[in-house]
This record gives sequence, C-alpha cells and structure tokens, in this order.
Amino acid sequence: MINSVRNTVLSVLNKNNYGYISPSDFNLYSQNAQVEIYEEYFSSYNKVINAENARMSGVDYADMEQPIAEVLEYFLRTDYLTKIAANKFSMPTPATTGYYTYMLLDIKCKPVTLRTGTNTSVVASQLVDSTALFTTYGISAGDIVTNITTGLVSTVTSVVSNTVLALDSNIFLASANSYGVFSSSTNVQAEKVINNKLALLVNSNLTQPTKEFPVYALQGEELTFYPTTISNKGQVQATYFRYPKVPKWTYITLTNGEPVFDQSQNDYQDFELPIEDEYKLVTRILQYCGMSIRESEVTQFSMAKEQQEQNP
Amino acid sequence: MAYISQYQYYENGGVVPEDTNWGSYQFISLTDIVNNFLLMYAGNHSLVNNEERYKILFHAKRAIQELNYDAFKEIKVLELTVPDNLRYIFPSDYVNWVRVSLYKDGWLRPLTENIQTLSSKAYLQDNTGRILFDQYGNALSPQYSTIDLNRLAKTKKSIYLNQGNQYNGQLGWNYDGMWYFEANIGAAYGLNTETANFNPTFNIDRKSGVINFDSSMSGLSCILEYVSDGMEQGDNSLITVNKLFEAYIYAAIEYEILSSKLGVQEYIVARSRKKRKALLSNAKIRISNIHPGRLLMNMRGMDKQIK
Repeated sequence: MINSVRNTVLSVLNKNNYGYISPSDFNLYSQNAQVEIYEEYFSSYNKVINAENARMSGVDYADMEQPIAEVLEYFLRTDYLTKIAANKFSMPTPATTGYYTYMLLDIKCKPVTLRTGTNTSVVASQLVDSTALFTTYGISAGDIVTNITTGLVSTVTSVVSNTVLALDSNIFLASANSYGVFSSSTNVQAEKVINNKLALLVNSNLTQPTKEFPVYALQGEELTFYPTTISNKGQVQATYFRYPKVPKWTYITLTNGEPVFDQSQNDYQDFELPIEDEYKLVTRILQYCGMSIRESEVTQFSMAKEQQEQNP
Repeated sequence: MAYISQYQYYENGGVVPEDTNWGSYQFISLTDIVNNFLLMYAGNHSLVNNEERYKILFHAKRAIQELNYDAFKEIKVLELTVPDNLRYIFPSDYVNWVRVSLYKDGWLRPLTENIQTLSSKAYLQDNTGRILFDQYGNALSPQYSTIDLNRLAKTKKSIYLNQGNQYNGQLGWNYDGMWYFEANIGAAYGLNTETANFNPTFNIDRKSGVINFDSSMSGLSCILEYVSDGMEQGDNSLITVNKLFEAYIYAAIEYEILSSKLGVQEYIVARSRKKRKALLSNAKIRISNIHPGRLLMNMRGMDKQIK
C-alpha cells in the first residue's frame, strides 16, 4: 500500500507543479500520518460504544463497532514482561518485546510458584533436575517454566518423570541455571491501581492484593506488582496495543537519479492500517507536504477532503 | 471454580487430604463471584461501568460478611477447657456469640450471661486515694482488681443459685421433718427466675477479647457457638458462599456501586435496592429448609392432652 500512497501523493503534488517530496520526507510524514489515524481508531471506538448505549447503532451490517475493533485487535500482542527488580517488571519496549506500547489492555499473573531450583543436566527441550519431585509438587502440562538465569520462558508439555519435564522450547542450554515453575491454573488478571491508592489498598484488610486478586502500579516504564511473590519472568504476561511499525518506502537509485520503489530491501515496511485507510493516509501526508512546500492550497485541499469524509 | 470429576470430588484425585472437595458443590468461590460480576454486570453496555475491581471485591466481601451475621446458618463451634484464670479467649475469627455451654457428664448445659460484672480494671492508689502514675503519666494498674481476685479465689458471691450463691452451704436445722434456714436481713422472698440457674455464669468482655466465667467453671469444658464473618482469616481462596445466595451477592454489589455513584438516576438505585432485598428474602426462605413433613411432625402434637 505504501507505494500506492506515495504515487497518489506525488500525483496530487505534481498536478499543478506544487513540488516534490523526497523519500525520507515521505517516510517521516507517513509515520506521523499513520500514528494519527491509529489513535483516532480508539476515539472512534469510544464514540461507537456511546452510540450503541444510546441505541443509535445496529447489528449485522449496521454494526459499527466490529470493523473498528478488528482494526485495533490487529495491533494486540501478548508477551511475557521482563523482570527489572524483585517485584518490578518492564513495560513492553522495543528492547524487551520489540514494540512500543500504546496501551496496556490486560496483565495476567501466575502468582503461584510450584518449584524453584537449578537444572542438573542439559537435554534439548527438557528441564532436568535430579533433586526435584515434579509430580509431588503438582506440576502438570501447561505450567510455565522460566530459566531465571537467561530469562527464557517455556511451557510444560508433559511431566516425563519426577525429575524431568518436557518443554515446548529449548530454554536450558547449560546446567546449573536457576529456574522457576509457575502454576498455569492460577492465571489471574492483575488490576492497575493509581499510585496514590496503592498504600491504602495494601493496608486494607478486605482489598489488599492477594494471589487471587493481584494489582500493579505504573511508574515510568516500570510496573510494580503486589503481592510481592510475583517476582520472576514467566509470571507476568501483558496483552497490549502496540504502535504500528514505522513505515518505510524503500528504493533503489537508478543512474538518472530517480528513486524506484524496491520492497525487497531489508528495512522495507508497509503501512499496517487497513486498505480502506489509504485515502486518509494520502490526505494526511498531503497536509504535511503542503506545510513543507509552503503551499497552502495543498493543505486546504486535503483538509477539505478529510472534512468531506467526516461529514458526508 | 471449574467442575470436577467424581473421583476428584470423593477422593481428591488420590491426594491427601481426601475430604477437600466434599460438599464443595454447594458453594461458589469469591474469585468466581468477582469474575462473574465483571463479566456479566459490568462493562460498556451495563449499568456498572468504569469501576475498579477492588471496589467490586470490597462490596462482595461486605455482602458475604453481612450474610454471615444473620442469614447463613453457619454456626461455628469451639470447645476449650476453662483454665484457672477463668478466661476463654475468643476464637481468632470470632465476631459474635450465639450460645455458651458447659459440657459435663455427657450433658450440654446452656449457660446464662451474668447480668453483674465479673471483671474489672483497677488503678493503684496511695493511702489517700490518689492514683499512682508511671514516668510517662500512665496510671499504674495491679495485675488483678479486687473483684477479679475474689472471683479467682472463689470467694466472690453470686446472685445466681449456684455454688457462689450467698445461701449455698448455709447451715440449717431439721424440725419435725422440715428444713429451716436462717434468713438474712433483706433477703428476697420467692424465686427470682432471672437468676434461678445452678450452672456457672459468664460475662463477655468484647474489648479484651475474652469470656470471663465465675469461679465454678474452672477446669470445666466450655463449648462456644459463635458466628464469624466468613473472611477465612483473609485467605481469599477459602472464602465461599452458598449458591442459594449467589444472585443476592451480585445484586448487593450492583446496588452498593450504583447507590454510591454520581449521576445514577434514583429510579435505577431504587430498582437495584428492591432487587437486592427480594433476592435476600428468597435466599433466606430457601436456606431455612422448611419442609412440610417436619412441620407435620410438630403439628401432630397439638392435640395431645396435657396431663
């Protein structure tokens, strides 16, 4: 879609010899335009919910909520959070999960630790601990195993014996690695609380955080969990809306200097918004272009198109 | 909580203790209540919206506490021997007592709450009656007050017709086949039914967290029937409610949230209040287990002639 958008933008700009924008400018404008439209989806979703509550939205083909929800759900991800300190975990970031977080939707915790120890030998996709009694600890398929030394996480596929667990990935590449096994049967939702309520909540008899009802507070990019037994990678899993990937129109330069689209480049990245948003992307990028080349007519044209779309 | 197999139910899947799941089907857990409420009664298209889970948890627990005080018939019973200090410390989950009994000779004898004081705090005084203080300005107290000392020494008199009564053991004489006793000045004539009980008596000291007994209870077995608040010492995993009260709990949470929320129309609050009240009445009737057959057994005695 990105090439089509760029061609349209250039076509509009060239129509009256308004000017030309370079690929790097186009990429910058594309990123901003995409994020703007992405964020608008959330406010649109809220408007649709309000319309539904006011009985102003129908079902079947009149269902306005579903298409918006589907676009948003494309950007949903679920990842294990990385431990920073005792009961503190990092927000999903490019460094930890590969993405920037737009909004945390849901945090799941596995507060019950079934076993901690160190592995005694290395077998591919297995956890071997000759001192363990895995059956006695109540470990079963589906429980989560974390290599605490490396931070890798895996799932138990079967309990081979009292000392061996079969895993769905190979996370133990050396012996004497610390590990933890966490019960998947107590996979509970952690609730976000605002920081000034946290002390009140922790000191309250009836509502203090427990393994059944854990909470977390957010400061900067750090999530602090209560009860404090939530302290290892593998115990916290976040479902979050990520930001769209940064679009990049890539090209090869021919001898006459004209850039030619080349999507085989490693850093190529198309827009992630659906195809129906192409015209929105064009008009938004044109707005930026109009400001860039100081052509108010371009900006006015694109804004008029956008307004026409919003108020048909 | 997920449904379990019959093997899990009867034998806990072979894991000791085997009785873990017995009777569990009657109850719904606190976790289930909160989850169900969030799923079914809260959200974008519901009356309850934008409420934190901890508020729902709070109201759920409060509703369970209220049910435990009067609606549930879940009386807890604890037997302890009353030691020489004549005190019975409340159970750790005690909220209120239902009945205090003496278990002796195979009989359970309900005890009477003493209308008089059995225990007291005291301050040390000098010979002019002035209270003595420590260096921090706090009044000094003896270990026991005089009334406590007398009770422990079994010298405190009782208005009840038990061993501590002033007439107990008093000398009399037999004349012409009849027993006669010295009457004290001011003695009451006739029987005061309020105090006409031979058994030991007790006082509840809520602040101190103990039941004080009179001296005749020393070394005897006391059975306390009491109600708790169902909070299971703060262990959320153990908090459960009988399924007969499940709908009431949801209604109670909904009402508490709506009634304290800004901008909710009064007719909605009133509707939720009525719903809550009706569901509570229904659940109380259900749990009363009023069986026609049992009523019939009682009714059969109504034509019996009193001889």
